Amino acid sequence: MASRRPPVRIPSLTGFMAMGLLLVALCFFGLPMVWLMLATSHTDAGLFTAPPLSWGSFANMGAAWENLSTYESAYLVRWATNSLIYSIGGVSLSLIAALPAGFILATQVFPGRRLILILTLIAMITPNAALVLPIYLQMSFLGLDNTRTAMVLATGFFPFGVYLAFIYFATALPREILNAARVDGAGPWRVFASVALPLARPAIALIAFFSFLANWSNYFLALVLLSDDRLHNLPLGLTALISGARALSFSAATGIPIRRPEAIMAALIIIVPVLLIFLFSQRYIRAGLLAGGEKG
Amino acid sequence: MSQTNPRPPRSADRAARAARKRRRNVLVCYLFLAPYLVLLLLFGILPISYAFGLSFFDTFTGAFAGLENYVSAISDFRLGRSFANVGTYVVLWVSLMLVGVAALALIVDAMPQRAGVAARTVFFLPGAVTSAAIVVLWLFLLDPAVSPFGPVFALMGAENRFHVFETIGFAGVFTLMAFFAYAGGWIVVMHGALISLPGDVLDAGRVDGCRPTGLALFVKLPMIWRTMTLMAVLSLANGLQLFVEPQLLGLAGPQLARNDWAPNQLAYQYAFLMGDFGVSAALSTMILAVSLAIALWIVLATRFYRTS
Repeated sequence: MASRRPPVRIPSLTGFMAMGLLLVALCFFGLPMVWLMLATSHTDAGLFTAPPLSWGSFANMGAAWENLSTYESAYLVRWATNSLIYSIGGVSLSLIAALPAGFILATQVFPGRRLILILTLIAMITPNAALVLPIYLQMSFLGLDNTRTAMVLATGFFPFGVYLAFIYFATALPREILNAARVDGAGPWRVFASVALPLARPAIALIAFFSFLANWSNYFLALVLLSDDRLHNLPLGLTALISGARALSFSAATGIPIRRPEAIMAALIIIVPVLLIFLFSQRYIRAGLLAGGEKG
Repeated sequence: MSQTNPRPPRSADRAARAARKRRRNVLVCYLFLAPYLVLLLLFGILPISYAFGLSFFDTFTGAFAGLENYVSAISDFRLGRSFANVGTYVVLWVSLMLVGVAALALIVDAMPQRAGVAARTVFFLPGAVTSAAIVVLWLFLLDPAVSPFGPVFALMGAENRFHVFETIGFAGVFTLMAFFAYAGGWIVVMHGALISLPGDVLDAGRVDGCRPTGLALFVKLPMIWRTMTLMAVLSLANGLQLFVEPQLLGLAGPQLARNDWAPNQLAYQYAFLMGDFGVSAALSTMILAVSLAIALWIVLATRFYRTS
C-alpha cells in the first residue's frame, strides 16, 4: 500500500511577510506590557545596568511602593480615594441616567424621540476633550470649579451609555414579554423595574465598564476643574508628583525619593485596575466594542 | 331623534380621554428621560452655548467685542503651527490605523482559533494604558538606555531620548502612543465584522481558487470597508482633540516640553496662564465646531448609526 503523503505546502512570500508583520506587532504591543510589569523590580540605577526585560528583586519593588505610598503623608491614598469617589460617582450617575433613558427610547414612540437620539449620537461621537474647556468656563461662572460635585456630575453625562442601553433594550428585550406585560396592565414603570432591569445585567456591566474606564483615567477634565491638590485624582496627582521630583528628566536629583521606579509604579497604579477588568471581563467588553464602535 | 343625540358626545369624550392618555404617556416618557436630559443640558448644550456666547465678549472689560477674540486667536502665530502639528499627527495616525488594523485583523482572522484569541488579547491589553500612564510608559520606551526596543534604536543610530524624538518627530511619537493604545480595540471590532461575513461568499472565493492572501485582500477587505471608514473618521475626530500627550511630555524635562503643540493646549493656556477666557472660548468654539461637524456628518449623512 503506497502511503500518500500530504502535499508539502510551501508558504508563499506574502505568507512569510504576514508572519513577519505578526511577530513585529506582537513585540510592539506585548513587550511594553511585559517591561512595565518587570521594571519596578529594579532600582533607579539598576534600570540602566540590567538588561531591559530582566527581573530585579521583590525588595526593590517593595521599596518603590514604600517611597511612593508614604511620600508627603500618604497623598497617594488620598488621590486613590478621590479617583474611586469620582469613578464610582460617575459610573452610578451615568447608570441612573442611561438605563431609563435607553429603555424608553427603545420601547416607546413619542414626540421628540428622534431629536434626542440624534443629539445623543452627536454627543457620543464628539470627543470628550472638546467639551472640557466649555464645561470649565461654565463651572467657574457658577462657582462650582474645584468641587467634587462638579467632577462627578460632569462625568455622569455619558451619552455612549445611553446608546448602549438603547441598543440593548431594542435588540435583547423580547417584544412578546413587553406586550404581555402591557396587556396585563403594567405601566412603563412596572415593565422597566420588574421586566427590563432584571434582564439588563449585561448592559449594566458594559455601561459601568466604559464609564469607569473614562472616569478612572480622566486627566484633562480633572486638570482644569480641580486645582486644589487635595481633590486631585490619581493621574493628576501622580504626574504632578513625578514632575515635581523631576523623576523622568536628566536634571540633578531633587532629594525627593521619587525616581524612575516610583514613576513606573505610579503608572502601574493607574493601569492595573483597568487591566484586571480587561482580563476578567473580556467577553462583555468585546460585545460592547462590537455594539458601538469605539469611543476613545 | 333623541336617541341619536348621546352618540357624538360619547365619541368626543373618548377622543378627549385618548388625547389625555397620550399626553400622560408622553409625560411618563419624559420622566424616564429626565435625569439624562438634565445632564445633557448641563454638560452638553449649556457649556457649548455659554462658551459660544463668551467668545464674543472681552474678558477684561466685559464689553461686547464682536469677532475680536476670534481675530486675536487666529492672529496668534502659534495657532497655525498647532493646527499643522495636529494635522500631521492625524494623517500619520489615521493612515497607520487603516493599514495596521486592517493587516493585523486579516492576519489574525486567518489564524487557528486559539492562536487568534491569544494574539487579539496581546493587541487589546495596551488599551488599559491611558492618559498619564501612557506618557510615562512611552518616555521609557523611547529611551534607548532602558527600552526593550533598544536594538531598534541602535539600528536607527539614536543614542538618547532626544535623538529618538528628533528622528521620529513629535507627531510620530504621538502616533506610536495612540496606535499602541487604540489599535487593539479596533482589531477586535474588525474581528467582529469579519466573523459576521456570509460564509457562502468566502466559500465561493475559495472554490474560485483564491489563496488566503487573495481572499483577505479582494474578498474580505472590501466587505469590512464600512467599519474601516467609521474607524478612520472617529480616529480623526479624536486625534484633533489631542491634549494630554503633548501636555505631559514636559515630565521628561524642559527640552521635550511642548506647551503649545496642539490647539487644545493653546485654548488651555489662554484660560489658565493668561486668564483670557474670551479668546479661550473662541478657540474652544472653533475646535469644537470641527468635531461637531464630523459628528453631524457621521450621524446624518451616513447610516452608520440608525436611530430606529
